[in-house]
Amino acid sequence: MMASMNRLPAPYGLLLDRNESITFSFENKSYQGYAGDTIASALAANDQWLLSRSFKYHRPRGVLTMAGQDANTLVQLPADPNVLADREPIVPELAVTGQNYSGSLNRDRSAWIERFAKFMPVGFYYRAFFRPKGIWEKWVRIIRQKAGLGVIDQNYKPVYFDKQYLFYDVVVVGGGPAGMVAALQAADSGAEVLLVDENPVLGGSLNYARFDAQGQRAGVLRAKMIADVEASDRVDIKLNALCNGWYTDNWLPIIQARRLYKVRAGEVILCVGALEQQAVFHNNDLPGIMMSSATQRLIHLYGVRPGKTAVILSGNNNAYGVALDLMDAGVDVKLIVELRKNPQYDDIARSAIARNIAVKTGHAVYAAIPGPDKKHISRVDVRKIISEGTCAAQGEIIECDLLCMSVGYTPAYQLPCQAGGQLGYDDETSSFTLTNLPDSCRLAGSVRGVQPESETDSMNFPWPIFPHPDGKEFVDFDEDLQIADIVHAVHDGYEHVQLVKRYSTCGMGPSQGRHSALPTARLVAKATNKTIAETGVTTARPPFAAERLAHSAGRSFYPSRRSNMHYRHLEAGAQMLQAGAWYRPAYYGPIGSKAEAIRGEVRNVRNNVGLVDVSTLGGIEVRGADAAEFLQRIYTFNFTKQPVGRARYALLTNEAGVVIDDGVACRFHQHHYYVTTTTGGADRVYQNMLKWNVQWCLDVDVANVSSAWCGVNIAGPYARHVLEKLCRDVDLGAEAFPYMGVREGTVAGIPARLIRVGFVGELGYEIHVPQHFGEALWDELMKAGSDQKIMPFGVEAQRVLRLEKGHIIIGQDTDAMSNPLEVQMSWAIARKKPFFVGGRIIAELEKAQIKRTLVGFVVNDRQAPIPLENHLVLDAEHMVGRVTSCEYSPTLDKPVGLAYAPLGNAGAGSQIIIKSTGGVRVTADIVDLPFYDPDNRRQEL
Amino acid sequence: MTTTTPTHHLRRSQLYRWHVNALARFEEAAGSAVVTEYAGADNEVNQATRLALVDLSTLPRVGFKGPGAPDWLDQQGAQLPDSPNQAVRQQDDSLIARLSDYELLILADLNLNSTLPAILQDRWSLASANKTYSVPRSDSHCWFALTGADAAMALSKVCGVDLRTHKFADQTIAQTSLARVNAIILRNDLAKTPCFFLLSDVSSAQYLWHAILDAMVEFHGRSVGIAALRALEAKPQ
Repeated sequence: MMASMNRLPAPYGLLLDRNESITFSFENKSYQGYAGDTIASALAANDQWLLSRSFKYHRPRGVLTMAGQDANTLVQLPADPNVLADREPIVPELAVTGQNYSGSLNRDRSAWIERFAKFMPVGFYYRAFFRPKGIWEKWVRIIRQKAGLGVIDQNYKPVYFDKQYLFYDVVVVGGGPAGMVAALQAADSGAEVLLVDENPVLGGSLNYARFDAQGQRAGVLRAKMIADVEASDRVDIKLNALCNGWYTDNWLPIIQARRLYKVRAGEVILCVGALEQQAVFHNNDLPGIMMSSATQRLIHLYGVRPGKTAVILSGNNNAYGVALDLMDAGVDVKLIVELRKNPQYDDIARSAIARNIAVKTGHAVYAAIPGPDKKHISRVDVRKIISEGTCAAQGEIIECDLLCMSVGYTPAYQLPCQAGGQLGYDDETSSFTLTNLPDSCRLAGSVRGVQPESETDSMNFPWPIFPHPDGKEFVDFDEDLQIADIVHAVHDGYEHVQLVKRYSTCGMGPSQGRHSALPTARLVAKATNKTIAETGVTTARPPFAAERLAHSAGRSFYPSRRSNMHYRHLEAGAQMLQAGAWYRPAYYGPIGSKAEAIRGEVRNVRNNVGLVDVSTLGGIEVRGADAAEFLQRIYTFNFTKQPVGRARYALLTNEAGVVIDDGVACRFHQHHYYVTTTTGGADRVYQNMLKWNVQWCLDVDVANVSSAWCGVNIAGPYARHVLEKLCRDVDLGAEAFPYMGVREGTVAGIPARLIRVGFVGELGYEIHVPQHFGEALWDELMKAGSDQKIMPFGVEAQRVLRLEKGHIIIGQDTDAMSNPLEVQMSWAIARKKPFFVGGRIIAELEKAQIKRTLVGFVVNDRQAPIPLENHLVLDAEHMVGRVTSCEYSPTLDKPVGLAYAPLGNAGAGSQIIIKSTGGVRVTADIVDLPFYDPDNRRQEL
Repeated sequence: MTTTTPTHHLRRSQLYRWHVNALARFEEAAGSAVVTEYAGADNEVNQATRLALVDLSTLPRVGFKGPGAPDWLDQQGAQLPDSPNQAVRQQDDSLIARLSDYELLILADLNLNSTLPAILQDRWSLASANKTYSVPRSDSHCWFALTGADAAMALSKVCGVDLRTHKFADQTIAQTSLARVNAIILRNDLAKTPCFFLLSDVSSAQYLWHAILDAMVEFHGRSVGIAALRALEAKPQ
C-alpha cells in the first residue's frame, strides 16, 4: 500500500473525515484515502496523477478542474463506465481502473496513434474511409473497436431509482455566497425556497478560494452564511444535487443520489458561478497542469498538496492568491508567468509579491515539457510575448511538477441560456456576458461575470492562446482538438461556429464545451475576421452533465388493468396475454399445450358451453332525447327505428370512410343506448363521440363506463340451459328473447344487462354486471354449468370461433385504409340516412369499383404450412394482397382464413397463392363466408 | 360491526385477495366486505397519523352528471359546492364532490351512517330526472384513502400536483394523473390528520395500490383498516 505522501495536515481538507480511512484500488493497486475523498483526490494524495487516456491520441491525462467539469478524470468502475474521478467519492474496496487504453494505463499500446496525428486532421474521417468503394466496411470494424469510452457491465443488476415532484416559490441553483444570500433574501420575503448545490457542502468558492491576503475572510463569511441558511425554516437545502437543465415554466430536473426531482419553481435564481478556463499552449494537457481553482480545491477541500515545485501562469490577480495558498501549503512557487505586460495588482497580489515570488510580466508559457516517462509535466518553456499569441524565439526553461493556469473564466452559461438568456461578449473585459433572461429567472454571483474586488484588470486575459509548430495546444481536451483543427475547419468552409462544432466535434465530448467554447470562439472569430460576439458559442442544451438513463426512466410506471375475474383465470390455469393495458386469458392450460388447449376450448363451445371474459370490451352510455339521432350520425347503420330491447351492429368509420371500430348498440330505453366497442378502441371511440357531440350540440350525454361493467359471454348449445338456472326474472326463451335482443335482469342475484349476440357463432349471451360482481358472476356460472361441461375459453379460442363464423376483428382484419365495402360490410351501411361520419366518402367509393376485398379461404392441402397473418398473397411474384387471419379450424378440420385479394380473383371457387412460411407457395381456395353455420341456425337457437 | 369474509358477498373489491394475504379482518359494508384492520399490526391509528393506505372500494358512492344534475340534486335536498373541484360535507356525513359544473360525486361516510347515496340512487330514473344521468361510480372507480402527515410527500412521488396541505386545502379536488392513471384526488381530513381520497379506474386498482405502497416505503407507510380512519375522524379537533 502506498503512503499518502501529498496529504496536508488538518485543518486542510474541509471535506475529509480523517477518522475514517478507506482502502480502495486503482489499476489493481491498493490505495488509502479518507472518507470525503474523491477518487482523484485520494489518488493525488498518493502521488498518482495519471487518471485516464485521451479519446483520440491516448495522451495521458490527469486532474484539470477538480470539479467534475472535464473529461480528463473519467474512470471505470465495475458497474459504471465514465465516472468522474474528481466527483465520485471513494468507498471501501472500490475497484477503479482507467479506461480507453490497450494494455495498461501506464503503458498504453494505442499511444502510437499520436505519432500519426498530422495524418488525421479535423474532419479526416469524413473523407478518408470511403475510397476505394467498399473500403468503409473494413474500416468500420476498426473504428468501432476504437470508438467509445468505458465498458458496460452486461450483468448489471438494476437498482431502484425513482422520481419526485417538488414545488417551491423560489429555487436557487448554486450554494455559493451569492446563492446563500439569494436564498436568505427570498426566504425573508416569505418565499418557500429550495437551495441546490452539487457539492457536499454549501459555500462554493468560499470553501477553497482566497478572498484576502491573510486567508481568513472566506472562512468567517462561510461559517456565518451557512449558519444563517441552515437556521432558516423557509429554506430547504439539497446538497450533492445537480440541477441538470432548465425547461419551460421553470421546470427543473434535479438529480440527487438515485432520485430525479421534478421541481416546479415560481422563480429561479441561477447562482451557478463561473468556470475557470485553460490557456492554450503546447502540451497544455499534461498531468500536473491544472486550473488554479483545481489547485485550491485540492489543498483546501481535500488536504492534498498538488505538487512540490510550481509555476503559475497568470492572467489575473487570482493567480497571486493561489501562489499564497501554495506557499502556505509548502509548495515551492518558482515563478509567476504573468501574461499581462503592466498588471494592476490588488492587495492579495501585492501581498504575494511581498513574499518574494518571482514574476515575469509580459511572458507566457510557450510549452510544457513532460518528464522522461511522458506522463507528467517536468518543465515549462517560458517566453516573452511579442504580439498577440506570438512568443519570442527563445525562452527560459523552468523545472516544475505543477503548472497552475489562472487566465480567465466563462460564466456557467448553460442553464441561463436554456432559460432563454443570450450570450454576448464584452471586448473590454474579454468575457462572455448574459442578457435577456425571462423575468422569472435571474442571475446572481459570478455567473454575471467574475468581477475583480478593486479597480484592477479584467479577470480574463484576452488572448491566452499560443500556437506551436508542433501543435498539441489543446483547445478541446475531450476530443483532442488543437488550434490547427479549429482553424482548418474554418478554412475548409465551415465558418459558422455551429458548423465548426459539427465538422470538428469540438464541444461534443463529455464536458460539452465548458473549456473549449471560449478559445474556439476566439479562434473562429480571428479566422473569419469577425468579433467574438458575432461568432458566439454553440447551443447549450440540457442535460448540463451526463445523467444515467436510470434517472430518466426512474421508477417505471406501467399501468395494467385487470377484470374482477382475473384471479379466477389464473386459478384455472390461464396463460395471460396483454391487450393494451388489459390482462386477458389467452388459453387455459400449460404453455406447451397451447394448440391442444385451444382446440379443446373451441370444441367445447361448439358442443357444450363455454365462458369467456369480455370485460375488456369498451362500454359507452349514450343517453338523452337525441341519443338515437346521435348514434345515427356516429355509426354507419340505422338506429332511429331500432326498437327498445334490441341490439344492433354498430360499425364506426372515420371522416375518410375507414373502418375504425365496431360493437353493438343496445337500446334499453327510448333515450338510452349502451354501446360496446373493441377492447383497444374504447377511449378513442369515447373521445370521438365527445368531439362530435360538442360540434352537433345534441341533447345527449356520453359516458365511458368501460371499467364499471364486467362481462362474460356464455356461448354454446347449452348456454340458455345454464343461464336459466340463474336468471329467473328474464324470459330466456328463443321467441321472448331472440337473437340480438337485450334485457335487464338479475343473474344469480346480480344486476345484469343481457345481450344476445353471436360473435362465436353459437347460441350465446353477453352478461354485463357491475365490475365488483364479476368474480361472483363467474363463480355462479361455472357452478351452474358444471353438468353441461362448461369450460372457460380464452381469447385464442374466441379468435378461432369468430373466424369460423366469418366475423372480422377491427384492427386485425382491417388496416388504415379499409373501408366497409372492402371488408364486405356494405350491409351495415344505411344509405338513406342523410349523414353519418364517413358517409360522404363511402358514397363516393361506391361509385367506383373497389380494388381489393376481404375474402375467406380454406387450405385443403394438409401438407401445406398454415399461412400466418401478413403472409403475402401473390400474383406470380407480385404482391396483390395479404392474409389478415388464419387459424386451424377444429370444426372444419382445416386451416381457414381471411385475406385481402384483388377483386378480379375474389369469387368463391377461385384460388389465391399465399407465400407462406419458408417461402412455400400455398394454394388456398376462396369460399363464401361464413365458414360455419351459414344459415345462422346455431346462434339463433 | 359484523365480521365477515369477502367471498361471502357477491360484490368484492379487486384487492380482497391482497388483504386476505395480509391477514386482514373484514367487516360487512353495504353488501360487501371492507378491511377493519390487519391482524398483528401495531397501532393502526398511530400509523394512520403518519402514513397509511386504506381500501374503501366497497363503500357506497354514486355519481350524476348532465345539465340538470345540479338542480335535481338540489331538489333532493343535497347541498352542492359552489364551484368545481370543491367538496361539501352533507348533514348525514356523506360528501358531495363537484367534479365540474354538471358532474357530481357522492361518497358515503366512513361509518356508513349516511343515507344520501342510496336515496339518490333509488330516486333517480332516466325519465324522472330531467337531463340528469347516473354515473356508476361504485364500480367505475376504486376508492383508496391515503392518510397521515407524510401523505402529501408520498403522493409527490406519483403525482405532479402540489398536494401539500398548506397549498391544497381540505375539501378540494384535483382531477389528475396518479402513477400514470387518471385519478380524482379529494382531500378530506380526518380531524387533524391529513387524508386524501383517491378514486381511480377500478380495473387499475391493483396496479395503483402497489404503486402507492411503493411510494410509501421510504416514509414507512403501510396499509391499515377502516377502523383507524374512524378513530382519527372521531378525535376532537
